[in-house]
Amino acid sequence: MIKLTIDGKTIQAQEGSTVLEAAKAADIFVPTLCHHPQLTPYGGCRLCMVEVEGARTLQPSCTLPATDGMVVNTATDKVLDARKFVLTLIFSERNHFCMYCPVSDGDCELQNRAYDEDMTHWDLQPNWQPFEVDASHEFIILDNNRCILCRRCTRACGELVGNFTLGFEERGANSLLVADYNVPLGESTCISCGTCVQICPTGALIDRQSAYQGKETEVDHHIGVCVECSVGCQRDVLTRDNRLVRIEGDWDAELTHGLLCDKGRFLPLEDDRSRLLTPLVRKDGQLKAATWDEALDAIASGLGKAQGLAALASTRLPAEDLVLFKSIFTDGLKAELVTSLEEGKSTASVAKLAETMSKSFESSLDALKDADAVLVLELDLVEEHQVPGFFIKRQIPEGIKLIVADGKDNRLAAKAHVRLTLTAGEESAFLAELHKALEGKADDEGINQAGALLTSAEKPCIVYGKTLAANADEAALKHLLAVAEALGAALIGVKGEANSMAAAQLGLEAPFTPNGYQAAFVALGDENPTQKLTKRLEEIPFVVAQAAYYSQLTANADVVLPVTMWAEQAGTYLSLDGRLQKFEKALDAPEGVLTSHEALLKVAETLAVKPDTDWKASLTKRTPTVEIQAV
Amino acid sequence: MSFLDIDERILKIVELVDLRATPITDLKAPDVDGVTVGILEGGIANTHNEHTAIRMRERCKILVALGDCAVFGGVPAMRNFFGEEAALQRAYVDAESNDSEGKIPSSPELAQLTRVRAVNEVVKVDIHIPGCPPHADVIFYALAELAEGRIPEIKDDMLHWH
Repeated sequence: MIKLTIDGKTIQAQEGSTVLEAAKAADIFVPTLCHHPQLTPYGGCRLCMVEVEGARTLQPSCTLPATDGMVVNTATDKVLDARKFVLTLIFSERNHFCMYCPVSDGDCELQNRAYDEDMTHWDLQPNWQPFEVDASHEFIILDNNRCILCRRCTRACGELVGNFTLGFEERGANSLLVADYNVPLGESTCISCGTCVQICPTGALIDRQSAYQGKETEVDHHIGVCVECSVGCQRDVLTRDNRLVRIEGDWDAELTHGLLCDKGRFLPLEDDRSRLLTPLVRKDGQLKAATWDEALDAIASGLGKAQGLAALASTRLPAEDLVLFKSIFTDGLKAELVTSLEEGKSTASVAKLAETMSKSFESSLDALKDADAVLVLELDLVEEHQVPGFFIKRQIPEGIKLIVADGKDNRLAAKAHVRLTLTAGEESAFLAELHKALEGKADDEGINQAGALLTSAEKPCIVYGKTLAANADEAALKHLLAVAEALGAALIGVKGEANSMAAAQLGLEAPFTPNGYQAAFVALGDENPTQKLTKRLEEIPFVVAQAAYYSQLTANADVVLPVTMWAEQAGTYLSLDGRLQKFEKALDAPEGVLTSHEALLKVAETLAVKPDTDWKASLTKRTPTVEIQAV
Repeated sequence: MSFLDIDERILKIVELVDLRATPITDLKAPDVDGVTVGILEGGIANTHNEHTAIRMRERCKILVALGDCAVFGGVPAMRNFFGEEAALQRAYVDAESNDSEGKIPSSPELAQLTRVRAVNEVVKVDIHIPGCPPHADVIFYALAELAEGRIPEIKDDMLHWH
């Protein structure tokens, strides 16, 4: 610890911290613009200048290391004048007329900083240099006229996401924020993660969905886990008048620190499927609107007399719902098949191994953040489970070694140091070879090269995808475990949907093959059913669908129960690395629509089943592949 | 409109001041031997505005710029990104509502368009009251302070955009 004085206050600070961090820790406000806690200090905007005794000029506190005995003043006349001058320069450089801009009144850091300084006007007039607005992107509008050249976006794109799409062209007043080599953003290598929009302090990067839809002063925030895949990023769902306005990453999230992908940030607001708002019951061959009681009666008579019953649940449902679902259909109704819509493809083999060995062998995603070599097996982290992909990509300039083994097109492979071919179905042979490669004894030189990179790494990491989990047999998985053990490598299986792992813990992972079932109950929630599932259900005479949206599946069903979509229900999700996280409901459900949980309870009551609702205990009965911990 | 939104409070102001000139009274310009306070609305968009601003500055002890146009240039300043000629061409010739004979007025009696400027780019301004429009309460506060012989301080919530 070191001691310094800021504004007459004696402050203890961690060695290596900056003056800005020391001031913040002591609740002394120093205004900033280019600085962001998630980014490396940059010292670009000069708004955070402070007066340091003994220093010849004002110093930027964001990059200035705090030293023992330092005497700092943050609010002298000299500092305040400099602040106003810096703001005047920024305002006069481009088009900062608040009345044209969607982020004014609360959402603009530039405007807020000017308010802090009680600026009624600025003395320098703009140079009226117009820049073209780039509106080529599906979700993002890039307006250089409002850019203050703080470079938060370019730094976020590189340092946090590892995509390196955004950069600057030209110098000084002509500096231009561009994508790639100045191509329209919509045609660039942008992956639409939206981190740049979230981190932009002004309206230079805005998103089409939420522009003019609601300002900070008008929205409600709902922090919770993202339900679009099993990574479990924390996000902030912004609503206004029971309407989704925008989704942002939560900067305070322990693992993901504000990162989201397009699936978590933009796509949920693009959902234009039609909602189911009333129960439907098939009468004389036609699906007709019905009351909940009529629908439940139809379920009672339909399921009551059925001989073979198949029950399937979406892994997008909260863990509480999956436990309830299992309890009703396995314990209560003794259904022939109780499984998830993923049928355990991404989890069953590995979960079984963990159970047989009574051992959890997978690691937390944190391991990826400081790995120095990563082997990615049959998984395109640019397409799916993207945020762990960001952790890898952003370390490539730091020297991380990347090995990608896949048989299909793989966008991550473009950045790989070693690329291996791993054809689906040949996982077992590949993993056996990989095991040999650790001693350089594989037949294939490429695999040996990969083996050498991994053995020379200090913190290696192995990430595998769904295909490998689905295709590898027990012997092959044991090779994989042995490889990880020999290397001291963190092993991470990405699994599938938001609650894949919860479904695995509940053993909801049997394959759904046509087997003469007479009735089926599908708890679809807001999942978009696959054609394959729709087709398979067509063979079953009596189908109950519990769904949020119309689909071919619900059109074919005999009874349809309208339930909530993700934002209208609360629940718990178990991430791919065992983090147990909550989502609190952000929107009220439409009249007459129940949560999946409420609907399942009604079904249980109708069928005279007393379900077990102790979901937490149910989740931990089986040895998990990775330790489960509440976050 | 925002000025009129100060409602009946306007009567108190009237009692306190001696209104010398406004665009809607007989006298359009302040007395030659000077007045205490002058208030300018709008940016400096042409030679006539320039002339008005200079005369106001000469004759007013305290010059106030009221509203975003006077303080920053405001919405009319958007034309600065295109230039005066392009703006005239668009308005008098190219606009969809014009017939084929549209032409740009060019009488020497008309003021010439200039780049739209904030008042403080042309003459020194003593008090800036931003806002588009400034809130009626802010206008009332500023007028009341001036009428009582004090200098209004526009800050905190009075400065915020609503």
